[in-house]
Amino acid sequence: MMKKTILLSVLALVLSFSQVSANAEFEAAWKAADEKRMEAAAVGYEWRDTKKFLKQAKEAAEQGDLDKAMKLVAKAHEQSEDAITQQAREVHLWSSRVIR
Amino acid sequence: MKKHVAALMVLFAAASWSMLFAGPEDDRMAFEKYFTSKFPETPKHDFINGIYSIDPPSREQWLEIEEFPPYELSIDAGRSAWEKPFANGKGYADCFGDGAVRGQYPYWDSGRKEIITMELAINECREANGEEPLKYGKGKLADISAYMSFMSRGQKINVIIPEDDPDALAAYERGKQFYYSKRGQLNFACIDCHGSGSGNLVRADRLSPALGHVSHWPVYRSKWGNMGTLHRRFGGCNRQVRAASFKPQSPQYRELELFLTYMSNGLEYNGPGARK
Ligand code: HEC
Repeated sequence: MMKKTILLSVLALVLSFSQVSANAEFEAAWKAADEKRMEAAAVGYEWRDTKKFLKQAKEAAEQGDLDKAMKLVAKAHEQSEDAITQQAREVHLWSSRVIR
Repeated sequence: MKKHVAALMVLFAAASWSMLFAGPEDDRMAFEKYFTSKFPETPKHDFINGIYSIDPPSREQWLEIEEFPPYELSIDAGRSAWEKPFANGKGYADCFGDGAVRGQYPYWDSGRKEIITMELAINECREANGEEPLKYGKGKLADISAYMSFMSRGQKINVIIPEDDPDALAAYERGKQFYYSKRGQLNFACIDCHGSGSGNLVRADRLSPALGHVSHWPVYRSKWGNMGTLHRRFGGCNRQVRAASFKPQSPQYRELELFLTYMSNGLEYNGPGARK
């Protein structure tokens, strides 16, 4: 009886620890993705849907669906990286399109 | 022989100089020539009618719409607002005379080091007289703009980039860079759709040529169901390639307006307009 209770509470503790760490991992990933988004915005190249993905990620996390939340964060992060690359490329390429 | 070589060298130097340092006027002439050659059937002065200048079937429909123009209510609302004095007893006429001033905008203000558009000037007039600024993009501000544009019909587009002010040229260049840069998830530049792509069908829309794009604002758009300013349209065109848009009257859109309006110098203002 006693043993079982201890076992269960240890299990619960481990589970809640892993929950906490998964949440912390999400929070950190979300923050990094949002910083990337701001980096893209600072050079005038934010994409239309990035903010929406970050919002949806928060919502998914609040509903306990961390898997979905992490996928959305990854998508947002990738978009901002692509946008920053696009800007760096266009600085050189735009003038080749000028009508002369 | 030596003479010829020297002449060639001079020619070469001049050509590379002008390629490196093409000024706004060279840009404009090339721009105009591009579209007048691409659409030889369209008389130059008609490019202010957007897609209807190159697409006869939709032009027919549009001419019918213009018999009872959907922007008329907006002109009327603008006229009422124009005639209603501010709380301090003054009015728009104290800032803009009879309102026929479209042809003076946008301009580079060398003192303030920024681009002044007509919409910006409308709000500055209000604030100078103790009134709240209006929301940019649509609504009451678009009505006043519609009235002033109507009063200004027939004025020439005539943007001036003061040569003695490098900041003015820099602002123009930023607008130009914006126009020719690809952006958004779909990776399109303005010129991709409204230059090489103009005349093509994109889903249900045929793409209009960029020449004359700035002449007829604000516009009643059936898709919007109301009036919108040029910057509202800029925002829509940014978002449709899945780029985040900028705010109406942001520095980016004012620079874009300066560049794009310069490209249409010499054409007429004919706002407000009606579009699909
Ligand atoms: C993916 C294609 C696409 C791109 C890129 C695009 N537009 Fe458009 N634009 C359209 C379509 C479609 C319309 C509506 C049909 C028309 O008039 O061309 C339109 C309409 C317009 C109009 C209104 C034309 C009129 O006669 O009233 C303006 C002005 C305009 N675009 C400016 C821009 C600017 C500036 C950019 C770059 C920031 C841009 N567009 C990028 C597709 C595009």
